[in-house]
Amino acid sequence: MSAHIKPIDRIIFGDNQFFGINHMSQDKAQERAERFANLENVMAVYDHAIDAGIEAIMLNANDRARGICDAFRANPAKYGHLKWYPSIPYPHKYAAMVNDKGMVGAVQEILFNKGAKSALGKMARGASAVMTLDAVKLMKMLIDEEMAIYDGLDVRCVFLQNIITDLMLGYDVPDPFIAYCEYIRERYGAWPGLITQNLPFLRAKLRGWGIEGVVICASVNKIGYLMSPGVTEYEADLAANDGAKYPVMAMSTLASGAVPAPVAYDYINRLNIQSIVFGASSPGNIKQTVSLISPTQLQSEAAE
Amino acid sequence: MADTGTAELKLGIIGAGRMGITHYSIANAHEAACVTSVADPSKLVTAMLGKYAKIATYKDYKGLLKGEELDGVLVCTPPAFNPDILDALLERRIATFCEKPYVLDAATGARLAREFEAAGIVNQVGYVNRWNDMFTKAKAFVEESLLGTPLRFRSEMFSPTIIRDVGDAGWRAAHSNGGGAVFEMASHAIDLIAYFFGAPDRVGGTSLSKVYSKQVEDVVSTSLFYDQGPRAGLTGTMYVNWSDASFRKPTNKFEVFGSGGKLLVDQHGMKVHLAKPSERHGLKEGWNQLYITDVASSVPFYVRGIEYTAQLYDFIAAVREGKAVRCTFADAAANLRVIEQIFADDAANHNRAGVAA
Repeated sequence: MSAHIKPIDRIIFGDNQFFGINHMSQDKAQERAERFANLENVMAVYDHAIDAGIEAIMLNANDRARGICDAFRANPAKYGHLKWYPSIPYPHKYAAMVNDKGMVGAVQEILFNKGAKSALGKMARGASAVMTLDAVKLMKMLIDEEMAIYDGLDVRCVFLQNIITDLMLGYDVPDPFIAYCEYIRERYGAWPGLITQNLPFLRAKLRGWGIEGVVICASVNKIGYLMSPGVTEYEADLAANDGAKYPVMAMSTLASGAVPAPVAYDYINRLNIQSIVFGASSPGNIKQTVSLISPTQLQSEAAE
Repeated sequence: MADTGTAELKLGIIGAGRMGITHYSIANAHEAACVTSVADPSKLVTAMLGKYAKIATYKDYKGLLKGEELDGVLVCTPPAFNPDILDALLERRIATFCEKPYVLDAATGARLAREFEAAGIVNQVGYVNRWNDMFTKAKAFVEESLLGTPLRFRSEMFSPTIIRDVGDAGWRAAHSNGGGAVFEMASHAIDLIAYFFGAPDRVGGTSLSKVYSKQVEDVVSTSLFYDQGPRAGLTGTMYVNWSDASFRKPTNKFEVFGSGGKLLVDQHGMKVHLAKPSERHGLKEGWNQLYITDVASSVPFYVRGIEYTAQLYDFIAAVREGKAVRCTFADAAANLRVIEQIFADDAANHNRAGVAA
């Protein structure tokens, strides 16, 4: 792990609330998508979060992210101190491309959409390009393309979306994980991050492959929602985890609203978890959540 | 079929598109199974898989079946290719998971279903909604007569799949490839109906419309009727639109109205309205809301949703332990019969309109 990498923030403000994502209710998701179609409404929520003491932001590289990042860059006096935790890629962009053009067509589109003279275009030129294609090189170029929108922001950790992490995890191939982590450290001076719905499985694989110094972001909640294989395995795995090697960032702590915040964070605060990402849109909910998260792990009742 | 009692199951994948690569990841993570080989015409795909995953790759299914000893195969090719592939798997007596809609005509579908069953070969189709926890719960409610006698249903599906003119290049642009909203999307909405009630006997009042596509339909609506059997008298409607940009991802909505109440369910939640409370189900008179977190099961490994893992683990359990299959070739063939009725009804309606004009 590079010495220049700083510890991750305890509380991170997430973005699902802005983009019509709600695992529990599509109606609620739609309602929010309408409200946050307006950038001013998005920035107003960020301002509430900053008022509540938030200093770190997780933002997915979706088609709205550039406008949001521009708004933050435009006011360095107000926002310059913020620390950024981007997640890449925006999976729906690639899914739509595959829908339209098929897998190979999508890869060609990615390679050529910047024009034949771009780095990607050069790489793709020639009849044998497909056979000699260096997937690692391609991945680095795609990362740079996704990361361009965060240019000039203080990036602390770059997360790979769970759809990609978990898909690759099933293939049981270490190369892309090793290459991703090395590249994020070298190129961005940031922690590599992996979002997953399979925390124990991922951590076991990373240990086996000798990959350390990775932030793992995973759903952690009292009822086991989006936690494979289950709560018991997560609790055991977290208890055994070295948070310096694999800092854990909990997401979905409220299980999409199924667990009341005080109960949810009473549970989270007692686990060996280094960081928590949450999303909320009302000033009251944001303040309440910040106040409920303890600065460090509390002793569990069993240990007292 | 190889002895599958204790050894790791060897699986092959035919067609490494979006579903093929998803199934690969899920199946390969199973502690008692591994993917040993992939067949795909794309050199890009096979070169990558050979180089990084270090598995055997083939340009087509013939090479794969010749070169590999397999306990099971996942068929994820466009459905027009499937009859030949499924016949080859039948000949080699290999357990088969086939992506929906399985094949493109009911007669071929029914023949293959009969022959796989007669040969005692595991056969499953990937109508994944049958493994969604919400739909499974709703089906159980209906079967336990929570709503009394079901009288009407409504099966809807929306997606932003074709939201601009993408030309005629892709395989989705022609029925002969399995393109169009009926094969691609309505098949899911039809299968949900069949999952709840069995396949309907006939359809009527069908209308297929184009929004962006040139050769195939983008919007589908029809009514479906049960004339015989335990569901005689049950009627419902289906509305499917794959050109609806207001939906972020494919969404199924299902509604059942019965003599004792009604339910509205989608992949994420369910509302139940009851005339009388049900102590057995813990539901009160009037409206009840169930969230996915109330019913969600857990799977050992998660990639795209619990249901994707659950269906493949069921397939592996069917091969290893003879566990019953939740969606057989015969189920998918029955859906194809409904699909053919929909096309025929739409054509007849056009003819009538032509005569009237």
